[in-house]
Amino acid sequence: MMEQFFEIDGFCVNINQKSVFAIIDCYEDSPVYEAIVDEYEEIHEEMLALAKPVGILGFGRLPKELETEEYKENTPVIYAFTSIGNGIKERSTQAFDDGDYVKGMLCDAMADDALFSMEERLIEVLTEVCRARHVGIRRRLEAPQDIPMIAQRIAWEYLELEKRFGIGITEGFMLDPVKSSCQIFILTEDEKTFRASHDCRKCARLDCKMRNIPPTEITVKRGSESRTVTLIDGESLMDLLLREGYYISAVCGGRGRCGKCGVQILEGFCQPSAADRAFYQPEELKAGWRLSCECYPTDDLVVAFDLADESEIVVPDLEEEPQGTGNCAGDAADAAADGTAASYQAAIDIGTTTIAIQLYEEGREAPVHTVTMINGQRTFGADVITRIQASVEGKKEQLQKIIRTDLIRGLEKLMGEAQVHPDRLKKIVIACNTTMSHLLMGYPCDSLGVYPFTPVNIGLIRGTSEEILGSSSLDAEVVILPGISTYVGGDITAGLYACGFAQNGEISLLIDLGTNGEMAIGNRERILTTSTAAGPAFEGGNISWGTGSIPGAICSVTIEEETAHVSTIQNKTATGICGTGVVEAVSELVKEGLVDETGLLDEDYFDDGFPLAKTADGQTIVFTQKDVREIQLAKAAIRAGIETLTARYGITKEKIGTVYLAGGFGFKLDCEKAIAIGMLPEEFRDRVRAIGNSSLQGAARFLKDPDGESVLLGLAAISEEIALSTDPDFNAWYMDSMMFEEEKI
Amino acid sequence: MAAAIIEEISEFLQKGRAKNVKKLVEEALAQGIDAQEILNEGLLSGMMIVGGKFKRNEVFVPEVLVAARAMNAGVAILEPHLVAAGNEPMGKAVIGTVKGDLHDIGKNLVAMMMKAAGFEVYDLGVDVEAETFVEKAEEVGADVIGMSALLTTTMPNMQSVIDALNAKGVREKYIVMIGGAPVTESFKEQIGADYYTADATSAAEVAKAAVEAKKA
Repeated sequence: MMEQFFEIDGFCVNINQKSVFAIIDCYEDSPVYEAIVDEYEEIHEEMLALAKPVGILGFGRLPKELETEEYKENTPVIYAFTSIGNGIKERSTQAFDDGDYVKGMLCDAMADDALFSMEERLIEVLTEVCRARHVGIRRRLEAPQDIPMIAQRIAWEYLELEKRFGIGITEGFMLDPVKSSCQIFILTEDEKTFRASHDCRKCARLDCKMRNIPPTEITVKRGSESRTVTLIDGESLMDLLLREGYYISAVCGGRGRCGKCGVQILEGFCQPSAADRAFYQPEELKAGWRLSCECYPTDDLVVAFDLADESEIVVPDLEEEPQGTGNCAGDAADAAADGTAASYQAAIDIGTTTIAIQLYEEGREAPVHTVTMINGQRTFGADVITRIQASVEGKKEQLQKIIRTDLIRGLEKLMGEAQVHPDRLKKIVIACNTTMSHLLMGYPCDSLGVYPFTPVNIGLIRGTSEEILGSSSLDAEVVILPGISTYVGGDITAGLYACGFAQNGEISLLIDLGTNGEMAIGNRERILTTSTAAGPAFEGGNISWGTGSIPGAICSVTIEEETAHVSTIQNKTATGICGTGVVEAVSELVKEGLVDETGLLDEDYFDDGFPLAKTADGQTIVFTQKDVREIQLAKAAIRAGIETLTARYGITKEKIGTVYLAGGFGFKLDCEKAIAIGMLPEEFRDRVRAIGNSSLQGAARFLKDPDGESVLLGLAAISEEIALSTDPDFNAWYMDSMMFEEEKI
Repeated sequence: MAAAIIEEISEFLQKGRAKNVKKLVEEALAQGIDAQEILNEGLLSGMMIVGGKFKRNEVFVPEVLVAARAMNAGVAILEPHLVAAGNEPMGKAVIGTVKGDLHDIGKNLVAMMMKAAGFEVYDLGVDVEAETFVEKAEEVGADVIGMSALLTTTMPNMQSVIDALNAKGVREKYIVMIGGAPVTESFKEQIGADYYTADATSAAEVAKAAVEAKKA
């Protein structure tokens, strides 16, 4: 039979002057400080000699009387007891009786500190016995803050303290000697959990002079991975996860509105916020679900962080890669073998939502390899406005760090998968909007968000990988392509460049269906650009079940007899709905008359939304009234932008040669459905060319074009921006385009 | 002249300078100043000033303790003179921590401040039976019974003391005061005590005022 009780010896009792003085509120600036120090020094040795430390641990079970909702009867526990004996305390009482209050108070505090000093050995022995039994400690319970006082009597009886050490207990369940301490440790089979220390955060003795609020520890579990992180004061759970480099989809920017940053608390407790109550059912709250953005832990927590992983995003922006990675690895190996190691170059598009990186071998046309990933800054909001806000609110460095880390990781992944040594990467060209370039460069964003929206720098930027990406692991030249204005950035210049606007005489229109909804019209003579702030709806943002283009995202919808048939990316079980799915759903709902021309959803579905599909765990993916409204706003912005820009350019829509539809969303979009909901005008039918990621294509072209710099600067020079928000025509078009016009369906 | 030396005693006491206090008390006696006056106007009033500062968080416990120690040094010299003169204390208080409870620091500080307020204090210690409170109060003819409890499990024993007083029909003879971390004003109402105070200085002040009112 295994040993049940472990008497503890080898205590090393200390009395620390600093802690004792803290207990009695004696500070160096006190006029009586010296007097107290003298007294302390006089009695210190005597008090140490009076300490008679004893202690014991005993394995046992939680009795019925101490059962709680969390811990049931018979839960395995360890009872623990330590005492410093009665000697020091007796001196204290004696001194008070003699009217030597200073000594009385000091002795009492010294007894407390001596007892505290026994904790170290207690924990040591506790660790040993737990290791031997392969158990861990889930919780430390102490009376009266965690458990009723009667627990002390139960422990006293169980550990036979009277027989063993002559310890008494009062009818109020106080141990005698009074300078004794008793705990019940709840055991767990998880050996790695060891929360045995006193938790001042939970202690009811708020005025305790020894109160020392330890940092809150959060253990994040994701799949089989588990990591424990210390919470910084005032930080939300989301802040912590971000700081640790986890990606969280939070299109609202952590404002408790989008409901996408939920985590499940497995151990510990955090009071649900108002937002939690709005998003979760009572059962879900009870199961520990919380929105991480609104969760401010005050307790050590174990959280499961196993959200639909949007980092697996599928960006359908490129044609099937001509070569597989195996192929290109062979090429690289060949090149190395003949001693003329090839140089490589990378083109990068930093989108507000996604990042795409493409590897090229110098002198070859086709890309070697491509990786796409989520822009980790998305946690700070889905659109550039929220990113600018975050930067201005003091997150500038954090945002820069996130994008730099994303790019370095992306490049490492790119080259790792293509089996190219990082040393061989010689040049990196980045195309992105103005906000993204400011965040990457660490420029202040203050002026981007307020009139007259002046950028710090939209010129072509050159630097080393160390200067721009903050990484010494690479040694490549980095170029950031020039932009036109704060709202029409280098990604659009790159798109114009890729679409041949610098050569064409014919008037073309480029529409980037991203969050910012930038567009440009013109030819080699003159270009007019604008940005429509369409919002994140086309990328699944602000949509109840919206998601990025990840496997399982609904991308196509047909509705017949009020029943939806959907297909998903990679035909996985539905997880949500991506941008193309959103447009399709709306267009089908309008076609079936389930959404009227004003955008009102049929009353049968008004409250709960129209069901599209079921998730793996049986939840219904619905399209709600609010989602319809989001799309109305977004599509109206695009349409009004097209109309206004065309009119300002002084041309009719029929005269536009080619309409380039850029963006991940644009690639898979069914043009008929876009016309059906009024996002694109009828005139564009048969003239639309979905070109995917034109920004990335522009960056790639720049890699190979010796005249790239002058062409791009030329494009920027002939481009002019118009502001739409104050344009009366835009506003009129915007209102008109909000409806779903029946004749167009 | 008399006022000056008494003022000095008070000031040294407030600074916790026991030696100076002792010396000046002896001097004052030598000057023929009445022992009761030295006690009340020099020592006790000085101590109550420190107590007031403590209550207002202007000083901390150590300053109070050191002052109280100085006070005791002075009182020790005055005592034979006071006894000889047949001086009566301002009142008598029986105090203790109730049955089942071994906490004593708060109770000790209250005893200290009560002494500073001029009370003759009978400290019964900790884990005191209800009957012991009653017997001692009856025996010494106490004005005040003060009880301390630091645990919710021992608070009910304050009720037992009041019950015991009632059983004996002597409840009205005493000013019953209670204190301790979990004790509240509403608990005082509930058990039928007379006063609840939150700190040692307030306890002494309230006790003094209550006794004066009763005697008036």
